[in-house]
Amino acid sequence: MPKLKARIRRKLKKKREPRLIEIYETRFIETLKEFRIPLMMLHTAITVGTIGYMIISGGDFINSFYMTVITIGTIGYGEVVGGSDTLIGRIFTSFLALMGIGVFTTSVTVIVRIFFKEDIINLYRAIKMLREIENLEGHYIICGYDKTSAWLASTLKKRKIEFVVVESNPQALKYLQEHNIKYFITEEPYKRSVLLSAGIKNARGMIVNLGEDTKNIAVIVTARLIKPSREDFYIYSFASTDGTAEKLEELGANKAFIPSKLLATRVAAYIFHTGSAFISDLFDRIAFGEETDIDILELHVEPGSPLIGKKLKDIDLRRALKVTIIAIRKPDGYLDVTVSGETVIEEEDTLIIFGQPRNLKKAQKILLEETYRILG
Amino acid sequence: MRYKKIVTDFFILMALTTNISFITSPNPYELVITVATNLAATILKIGEGRVLSTEMLASSLVADLHLIPALFLFFSGDPKEAIGLAQGALAANIISVIISIIETILSAFTEEE
Repeated sequence: MPKLKARIRRKLKKKREPRLIEIYETRFIETLKEFRIPLMMLHTAITVGTIGYMIISGGDFINSFYMTVITIGTIGYGEVVGGSDTLIGRIFTSFLALMGIGVFTTSVTVIVRIFFKEDIINLYRAIKMLREIENLEGHYIICGYDKTSAWLASTLKKRKIEFVVVESNPQALKYLQEHNIKYFITEEPYKRSVLLSAGIKNARGMIVNLGEDTKNIAVIVTARLIKPSREDFYIYSFASTDGTAEKLEELGANKAFIPSKLLATRVAAYIFHTGSAFISDLFDRIAFGEETDIDILELHVEPGSPLIGKKLKDIDLRRALKVTIIAIRKPDGYLDVTVSGETVIEEEDTLIIFGQPRNLKKAQKILLEETYRILG
Repeated sequence: MRYKKIVTDFFILMALTTNISFITSPNPYELVITVATNLAATILKIGEGRVLSTEMLASSLVADLHLIPALFLFFSGDPKEAIGLAQGALAANIISVIISIIETILSAFTEEE
């Protein structure tokens, strides 16, 4: 017995950090508690009335219940229960009406108020959303929702990439709903429980845009502690200066962008290519994901791949899969842009393939599947 | 002493005892009181954040869903079927009491900590 007691005690003592969904569920249950008093008041009034009329009428339950409801509900169709038109019956009805009507109206008002209180509906929605987020895989997490994040969200939506927005400012909720953001969490993103609830374990990457370097650092560090591998989980952050960008990258960000610098570079690119605006703009738009009809794919040739040793004209991707290999990046970083049908694919090459996104996806799938099939 | 627990446990036990008394000697008043105490116990379990509260609420709802039809069957002239349903509710009531006891023991352990 003492052993069992100790074991139970240990089990109960072993506390873990509550998940966000559990916190919301507890809050939801707490709100439900508010229903208890009005329901109990209503229940007591109906029970007292029904039993009272049953005693007066000699056990007629259906009519007693009906008489109670029409009395406390201020309907008052008449004295439908046997014995209710007697002296005792009328005294009982008077007392029941005096107390019951007040109880009924108060209870119904309180119940309706709790039910339509914004909290309970929002909480229910949040719980439902968190359950859906738990099933996401390969999605992105956007921390902070401002104009930049809104543009980013719209681009990801176009590419049908799932994402979860985490924003602590409750005022942003209005914009998140206006912009039809499917998944969002209105909590502080630097909390471990919040990032876990945003599905960080199954996510592909995260974009940190909280407007302040200190906040960005807090989120990046928390995220890297959960997902330490830079290859498995990409973190892109915004930074205010070059120095901060370096620090953010050292702390765990795969890449830190300086918004003003990025904008200037892009404008400069237009200035440099004024004469050949279409092509530079096309590459620009492809690179920035604005061109949804054309895309570029990088495909790494793994050791043992069936592509090794083959000439480009032999695999003829252009005809078979309607995509074109425009360049090959060699393992030493050299970019061969003069590829022809006679070019031979070597181990550890990276093929730069150009084509429509749908065909590129197909090509990637087929080529990778073929590789895995051969590698066993 | 926790008064809330006294009230909840009172209704849970009362639901069980009145149900047994209705099954042993069917009587309209007993049945109405059984339904009333069961409903009161259910209301008191709404929003309970304890370890086994969901199981308690579920068992209470089962008892209600047996007893409310039993009430209407009893008064519409089928007392045999009503008693059958009340027996079903009794099983749920017994489970409710067992869960309540388990929870009391568990909370006693945590309090000791």
